[in-house]
Amino acid sequence: MSLAKQSANEGSAKQVFAKQGFVHRPWAPLVLGAGIIVGGTIIGLILGSVTDFGFTRMSLILITTVLLLGLGVVTGTAGMIALCQLSFAAAGAYIVEWMSLHHVASFLGGFAFVFYMICGAAFAMIMGIIVGLPALRLRGVNLAVVTLSLSFVFDVTIVTLGFPGTKTNEFIDRPFGIGGSPEDKDTVWVALFALIVTAIIAIAVVYLQRSRWGSAWKMVAFSERGTASSGTNVRFAKLTAFAVSAGAGGIAGGLFEALYRQGNPTLFGPYSSLVLYVLSAIVGSYLVDMAFFGGVLSVVIPFILTRLSWPMFIGDMLFGVLGIQALTTGSNLGEDIRRGIRRRSREAKLAAVSEVLHDTGAVASVPIPKGTGRPLLVVKDLGVQFGAVKANSNVDIVVTEGTILGLIGPNGAGKSTFIDAVSGFLPHHTGVVELDGVALDNKTPSNIARLGLRRTYQQDRVPSTVTVGAYAKFVTRGKATRAEIDEVLDFFGCPTYYTPLSLVDVGTRRLIEVATGVAAKPKLLMLDEPAAGLDHEQHIAFGERLRQVPTKYGVTLLLIEHDLDLVRSVCSEITVLNFGEVLASGAQDAVLNNPEVLKAYMGETEML
Amino acid sequence: MREDFGPPAHDSLSRYFPYTLQERTEKMIIVNGFAGLTQGAFFAIIGILLTLMSQLTRVVNFSQLAVGMFGGFVGMTLMMNPDIQLNIWLALVVSIVISAALSGIIGWIIATWLPSAPISNRSAVTVAALLLIVSTASVLFGANHSNFTPIVSGNVTQFTIPGGQIVFVSQSLVALLALAFVILIASSILLKRTMFGVRLRAISDRQSAAELIGVNVKVLNVGVWVISGALISLAIGFVPATISNDYISFSLLIIGGSAAALVGAFKNPWLALVGGLLIGALQGVCSAIPQIAPYRDWVVFILILVFLLWNQRKEVWDVAR
Amino acid sequence: MSLVLNDVTVSRGVGPVISNVSLEVKPGQITTLVGPNGAGKTSLIEAIAGVITPSGGTIVMDDVDITKLSKRKRSRAGLSIVEQGRMIFPSLTVKENLQLTARTKADMDEALALFPELEKRLNNQSILLSGGEQQMVVLARAFAAKPKYLLLDEMSLGLAPVVFMRLLPVIEGIAKSGVGVLLVEQFAHLALKIAQDSVVVTSGRVSYQGDPKALLKDAELLRQKYMG
Repeated sequence: MSLAKQSANEGSAKQVFAKQGFVHRPWAPLVLGAGIIVGGTIIGLILGSVTDFGFTRMSLILITTVLLLGLGVVTGTAGMIALCQLSFAAAGAYIVEWMSLHHVASFLGGFAFVFYMICGAAFAMIMGIIVGLPALRLRGVNLAVVTLSLSFVFDVTIVTLGFPGTKTNEFIDRPFGIGGSPEDKDTVWVALFALIVTAIIAIAVVYLQRSRWGSAWKMVAFSERGTASSGTNVRFAKLTAFAVSAGAGGIAGGLFEALYRQGNPTLFGPYSSLVLYVLSAIVGSYLVDMAFFGGVLSVVIPFILTRLSWPMFIGDMLFGVLGIQALTTGSNLGEDIRRGIRRRSREAKLAAVSEVLHDTGAVASVPIPKGTGRPLLVVKDLGVQFGAVKANSNVDIVVTEGTILGLIGPNGAGKSTFIDAVSGFLPHHTGVVELDGVALDNKTPSNIARLGLRRTYQQDRVPSTVTVGAYAKFVTRGKATRAEIDEVLDFFGCPTYYTPLSLVDVGTRRLIEVATGVAAKPKLLMLDEPAAGLDHEQHIAFGERLRQVPTKYGVTLLLIEHDLDLVRSVCSEITVLNFGEVLASGAQDAVLNNPEVLKAYMGETEML
Repeated sequence: MREDFGPPAHDSLSRYFPYTLQERTEKMIIVNGFAGLTQGAFFAIIGILLTLMSQLTRVVNFSQLAVGMFGGFVGMTLMMNPDIQLNIWLALVVSIVISAALSGIIGWIIATWLPSAPISNRSAVTVAALLLIVSTASVLFGANHSNFTPIVSGNVTQFTIPGGQIVFVSQSLVALLALAFVILIASSILLKRTMFGVRLRAISDRQSAAELIGVNVKVLNVGVWVISGALISLAIGFVPATISNDYISFSLLIIGGSAAALVGAFKNPWLALVGGLLIGALQGVCSAIPQIAPYRDWVVFILILVFLLWNQRKEVWDVAR
Repeated sequence: MSLVLNDVTVSRGVGPVISNVSLEVKPGQITTLVGPNGAGKTSLIEAIAGVITPSGGTIVMDDVDITKLSKRKRSRAGLSIVEQGRMIFPSLTVKENLQLTARTKADMDEALALFPELEKRLNNQSILLSGGEQQMVVLARAFAAKPKYLLLDEMSLGLAPVVFMRLLPVIEGIAKSGVGVLLVEQFAHLALKIAQDSVVVTSGRVSYQGDPKALLKDAELLRQKYMG
């Protein structure tokens, strides 16, 4: 008795830790990144003044940091292969040089250069969007092919045309009246200017990665279907990542101009972009501190090689080997270091989070919701065919507003196919689907989600790279306040807002998927076996909560479930699918006692 | 970024296929278009091999040409070395063996550590491999190297077209085209008629199901890599001496090949052949028109973008993700 | 000489989906494994085939411990599996599907003798076949490998009962030829009828093991297990 009480106390102590233990530290990565960048720059400048490392190299470290930060967004966060980062830099540099030579905004004084840089970045972004639009429609590796081609074509053009100042051998003015010599007395100011720009870019990248865009990038890297059914257009998510990356490239191009005062095509070739991509993969350049570290590597290694009079390409050989290692293991330096540091505290937190899982405290019991009687989802004569196999045929289903419809049937009966078709992933289906009078048949999955028809998945579609809160914010798309999100998470017994999803097991992630789906307040939420992975008691607790959803949150539910106990406890009406067709449909008792349904479940064909 | 890398900047048109360097007049369109076919046939072979590899081993191999380049330089070094003076045919054999082995190693790394990873993760490794091979070649063979000695040279025939221009049919073109057709036909026979091919197609359909019935996925995958490495090395032997071969530029000819493969959406090797020839001819034609000549690469690039836009107008959903 | 599972435990995500399951499949016999959806039947099959590694226990085939062997080595050692969902190779013809496992012409002919109706479809692409025919191809393919033990995972999935009933006598025939068959099924009654041994799995544990006839007689017990 006392023992039980004691362990209960321990449990609740752990829960308190889990509920409050994840403090929001929005400044942490910035402080780390800023500390390393500023500290590193100071060390670099000191080194530069006492050795022949010089301030030009310090500036180059910072410029490479900006390039890598941008690349980190597209290759690290959003998980795509982009091989033209330096073409964007070349575009930015070109614009800055041209505008500068033509004194487009000289009335801005020292700030004119900043204005040119912003224009350069904007141009690079537009270029990124134009190239990204067709390329990003393609899956995965095609982007790599198209970006590599772009970097080649762009390089040829730049080599042919030259930069605006090349022919007349004109040099542009550095920003804020910094002297134009390549001597240290001037380049030290360029390095400081680059430091400020790098800091601004780092802040912007960290901010964007935390925003809904950032969540979309992480989501799209994890699951494109999951992204679309959360109401975010997959192409939009990829395109924003690509455009942001291009913008940072453009800024870096401007910094090149600040340093060299005239573009040099050899800086921007496709080979350099390849090196940069591999470097980004090695260090994990979506992390600010690691982007800076990548910058250091790319400058210091050649510096050392020069001092030793060794071939310059030994550095690239090293990057090649490290790159193969990083890309085959799917890890990078930044994550490895962080994992090493965090390992101990992670285990404690992991234990605490798993305690919360079992907190299935009782909620008020309500009867099975009866609904308003108004048809919300009307599906008529739905058919889906894969090759010669009919996965769905002549399926008619009506979901009444305010109810929970149970969709059951043996394995392979076509239940998940039905959800896929209704949510827009099988555009070749036949028949009619209407939600609240709006036809959904020709709509994309993200549009359907925005129209108020959401779904969850049997497989895990919740990325481990974000926090519970960031995921909830991404899924709800501004439809729920912070307080509302907290309330729904608490209602379903999910971990709290700032809990990293990497600490949450798959079963709980699916609970979070359901909770955030409810918080997004769709008209209809389709749940595909949400309770798989929960034990029997949790099933009952989950059912109690589901029963409340239609009245408490105004969300109608369609539930695919194998556990007939759960179906019986929450669904007023049930539809049974078998061999892709509706076998029975109607009130719970009638359907579950229908001998045909029993046969479908147990195969008592001998009773025929 | 660093100040020191990147290929030397000389006239862009001469960097890759210098024989189209001469600015010609509009009358030369056909002549130049035909001249472009040689380069097109080379792109086609690369495109065909890329397509087959992408179908059979789920990888877009960016290191393919680098692998061939590396083998070629080993052969060249042995040929040029005054103490060894290897016969050109033996040098070719050495090149093929080295390329095949190098290719096999990359394939083995990918098959071992990323056996069921998505195609983009597998392909990313080849980008790093490309970097490693190019930089290793630079360190090993030094900055001053001679161009590849082609196995064939000169023209097979020549004919006069209306207007008086003379069109040359080079041995390179004939050899490369023949090789492209041999690869296409042999691969289709191999895939349809041999157990090796049937197993490869089974892996391409459902890798895990193939493993469950005892197919050795790793060995077959590495086999494809080895064959592909050998074939690209052979093809390089037929490439005309005029093709510039600094390590980086030559390895980046993969771009033209992947553009050809894109025409067949990395699925249809025959369309890759058509794509390669079209790209080559188009570039040749463009270089005959002085107003367009400097932008001829853009013409190809934009055409491919437009083609992609048209080809991918419907949103497609992966089965898995 | 048999396929033996000793205390096999399989974990997935949240926790064990299979806990301490022990069973034996004897050559020449059909062992039917039944249980409600989500009981862990497929996980068990996947553990035997090598798709997932058990977190505990051993799997022994004819006195050889195969727990740590790769999928391919298990297949070479005489284990064949028919996975859920009609795993044909869609771009291959029926003949090519069978060639993948048949080592000799005789093996091929024997496999085809199971389903003479496939003869006229030999050169068709298998994706163009009906669901029932696809399942026949998969079963024939597994048999052509001349396995010692055959694992069948929910062959009835998405098939009309009539089609499934066409497959059952074939499975009986395969067992009679000396192959040990582990038949995992939702269609409990039909599957139990042809079995010599049976196992019921609920919530990842063995809840019944023994004579299938006894289980068939106690229809009420079975019904409870399925409908809750």
